[in-house]
Amino acid sequence: MNYQQEQLRNALAAEYVLGTLSGPARKRFQQLMMESQSIREATWVWEQHLNGLGEKLEPVEPSPNVWKNIQYRLDMSPPRTTPVTHISRAAKRFWQSTALVATAAAFILAILIVRQDLPKDTFIPDTREVAIFVDTESAPLWLIDITQDNIEIQTTSNLEVKSNNDYQLWMVAKDGRPPISLGILPQKGKITLPKHVQFDQLDIAALAVSLEPLGGSPNGQPTTVLYTAELVST
Amino acid sequence: MEQEKMLKLLSAVALGDQQSFSELYSLTSARLYAVSIKLLKRRELAEEALQEAFVRIWHNASQYQQGQGTVITWMISIVRYRALDMLRYNKVRNEQALNEQEEDPTLEPELMTMSEQALLDKCMDELDAQQKQAIHLAYFNGLTHHEVVQHMDSPLGTIKSWIRRGLLSLQRCLTI
Repeated sequence: MNYQQEQLRNALAAEYVLGTLSGPARKRFQQLMMESQSIREATWVWEQHLNGLGEKLEPVEPSPNVWKNIQYRLDMSPPRTTPVTHISRAAKRFWQSTALVATAAAFILAILIVRQDLPKDTFIPDTREVAIFVDTESAPLWLIDITQDNIEIQTTSNLEVKSNNDYQLWMVAKDGRPPISLGILPQKGKITLPKHVQFDQLDIAALAVSLEPLGGSPNGQPTTVLYTAELVST
Repeated sequence: MEQEKMLKLLSAVALGDQQSFSELYSLTSARLYAVSIKLLKRRELAEEALQEAFVRIWHNASQYQQGQGTVITWMISIVRYRALDMLRYNKVRNEQALNEQEEDPTLEPELMTMSEQALLDKCMDELDAQQKQAIHLAYFNGLTHHEVVQHMDSPLGTIKSWIRRGLLSLQRCLTI
């Protein structure tokens, strides 16, 4: 390789590492790196040079969730979370827990009592569905009440409030299609979400809660599924 | 020495040792996150880049070679490339935040040996002010040539030449 080529290779490697080689040129360079050891080495030299700049930055602690998410993604720790693909197993465990059944019963009872208190002419649909999201200690986090047109959500004080994230609610259909977002969950108090148009059309395997950046999932799919819960008819 | 400690951890990670991975994370995550948040500005994106970088580090630990520099520069490269991809994809840019931090980072060297860090400082200082600023904007803030043009209010050809010549001078200075 002559001097000029070496200079060019070096200049490209430098701008690749700096980040100013962009678009198609960047892709071409990545291809070249895969093919040529000398280009890889030129790039390593620049990574060494320039990333010394990055080392000078004052360290900034990331949120503890980053480590949790890494462990979760690498399947390293017993997750406090339940992946969507394991819903049926999770659901089985869910109902095997007597504590949970008791909680569910109390919740359903509460709804029935509230309904009895309603004025006689209030329209009440014949069937309602409820779901309860609980943490690993079986403490309820959100109580979900599906009414004819809406989803009413009550938050409990057990919930860990996150100022840098949102919790998002999803429905998971039995037919295996990707989860459908039902909206952002409150972290305190009570809200009513409109019922998704497909809610009554699909056979729902479970509801799920994911942890998302503020504003909800960036790509329309759950980022990290934290909890799942089955719907129960009252 | 920090490099030796990290190399030991990374070698264990390459063999699938989760405890070492956890230690490596504790040792480096705040330094890597500093690079990521400076580039991406938005916390959720910066954390995502950091997360993906560590997933990659876990899978690629066995591919690290000493020729690639110290473990920390190798790790910074991984998080920085990921953050740059996200930056270009999301087109996130917070001009206000950028304007507030034009000053050089005058922070304490932590990981390179003093002589390497001092040499890098000396070589950066030898650059023309504009060359240095253009390289800093690209390195720390992930600006493209065109974005540097807007920021420094000079024509594209001039910016490209500042960066190219700046990098060349830097290399000459560092490898003497």
